[in-house]
Amino acid sequence: MTRVAAAVVSVVLIGATLSPLARKPADDGYPLSTYPMFAWRRPTKLTMSYPLGVTARGPRYLSPGIIGSFEVLQARAIVERAVAKGGKEVAMLCERIAARVATTPRFADVTAIRIVTGNHDAVDFLVRDAPGIEYERAACEVRRR
Amino acid sequence: MTMTPRSPVAVLARWWFAPAPAERLAALRMLIGGYAFVYLWIRFGELLAVTRFPATQWRAVGVTRLLDGPLAPTVMLVIVVVTMVLLAAFVLGLQYRIVAPLAALGLLWVTSYRNSWGMVFHTENLMVLHVIALACMPAADRWALGRPPGEAAAGYGWCIKLLVVLMVATYVLAGIAKLRIAGLGWIDGELLRNQIAIDNLRKALLGGSIAPLATQFLEHPSAFTVFCVLTLALELGAPITLLGGWPARLWVLAVWGFHVGVIFLMNIWFLYPLVGAAFWPVLRVERPFASLFGRVARWRDPRRAA
Repeated sequence: MTRVAAAVVSVVLIGATLSPLARKPADDGYPLSTYPMFAWRRPTKLTMSYPLGVTARGPRYLSPGIIGSFEVLQARAIVERAVAKGGKEVAMLCERIAARVATTPRFADVTAIRIVTGNHDAVDFLVRDAPGIEYERAACEVRRR
Repeated sequence: MTMTPRSPVAVLARWWFAPAPAERLAALRMLIGGYAFVYLWIRFGELLAVTRFPATQWRAVGVTRLLDGPLAPTVMLVIVVVTMVLLAAFVLGLQYRIVAPLAALGLLWVTSYRNSWGMVFHTENLMVLHVIALACMPAADRWALGRPPGEAAAGYGWCIKLLVVLMVATYVLAGIAKLRIAGLGWIDGELLRNQIAIDNLRKALLGGSIAPLATQFLEHPSAFTVFCVLTLALELGAPITLLGGWPARLWVLAVWGFHVGVIFLMNIWFLYPLVGAAFWPVLRVERPFASLFGRVARWRDPRRAA
């Protein structure tokens, strides 16, 4: 490889990697990213939808894998999209989660699934153990054979 | 127009093309290619799991915008397997000029596909950029299977520097994004504290593991000002690695510590820097390989040892 070819490769790759500077920070991409994570100002209040397992001792949180992805944020996207579509879509998600719970021994105490939208303050929830309020979006039974 | 030896372009060219051992680039090919292979191996189940998501979840990013919708699971299975085979050949240096670009394209496709289901992860970008860059380099002039050693006319120093610059660019971009979005106010700590609080709350509600030190630090918001200053200093100070030597190694150590801190506060694992892969181009990574291959050669031919 000649120096000219090496210089062209270098300029193209460095230029491409720095090209997100010409975009708005919110206009993220892959693999050429503006890397906007952790930069946005946001309140500690969070409204989010998630599934809960119903047990004899009260509700318990499930796991991202049970929702459909081992990645937390991808699992969150699955629930949020279903809730946004509502009706049949959220009911189907509830059934899918219930079916996975039914075959997972560590959730043997879960008898039903509730998909809820919760309003929480993150600091109150995590530090002061003070959850906010939850609205039910769908509910279904866990059927075991 | 002639270029005098002291002109800025000539000085830059001398620095950019300063010699470096071909073995270092070959070692980076094996290490970074090997990392990408293991990454796909570990993520194999997850890469296939996304193919079973409902099509309504599909949000194409990057090269997958070429598609009208998700691929059939079997097609994606074949692409992942073929990419892994290509990456294995990439590591070995087999038919490098043909195999390396295909392996890079496969990796770009597979990771873009994984990111096309509602969440763009930022943990894979540099790995993909490094593999693409290596595919454009004479990285199989040493330690390649079925190929005698070669010599590149432009040498190998520019290749190592390019890999370092790509790493530096990703950190600088992350620092600039904070300033573009939030301004200098980002360092007051409140924004980062809220990000960490929200991130951990999301994990808790979805049944994921929250970070071990998150709750302790959320009670002491002033600590986040220190974290913010350090974060920006490290991100915007990344170009110091271009000096090489101890400043580069010190920066690498500090940024590695920063990523460990991210685990303790957010339970987010940036594996590529955490295992050191992002920083291998800064180090003399050829030494352990040279030692290993030397031992193997002496074992196979004891006369050399004598």
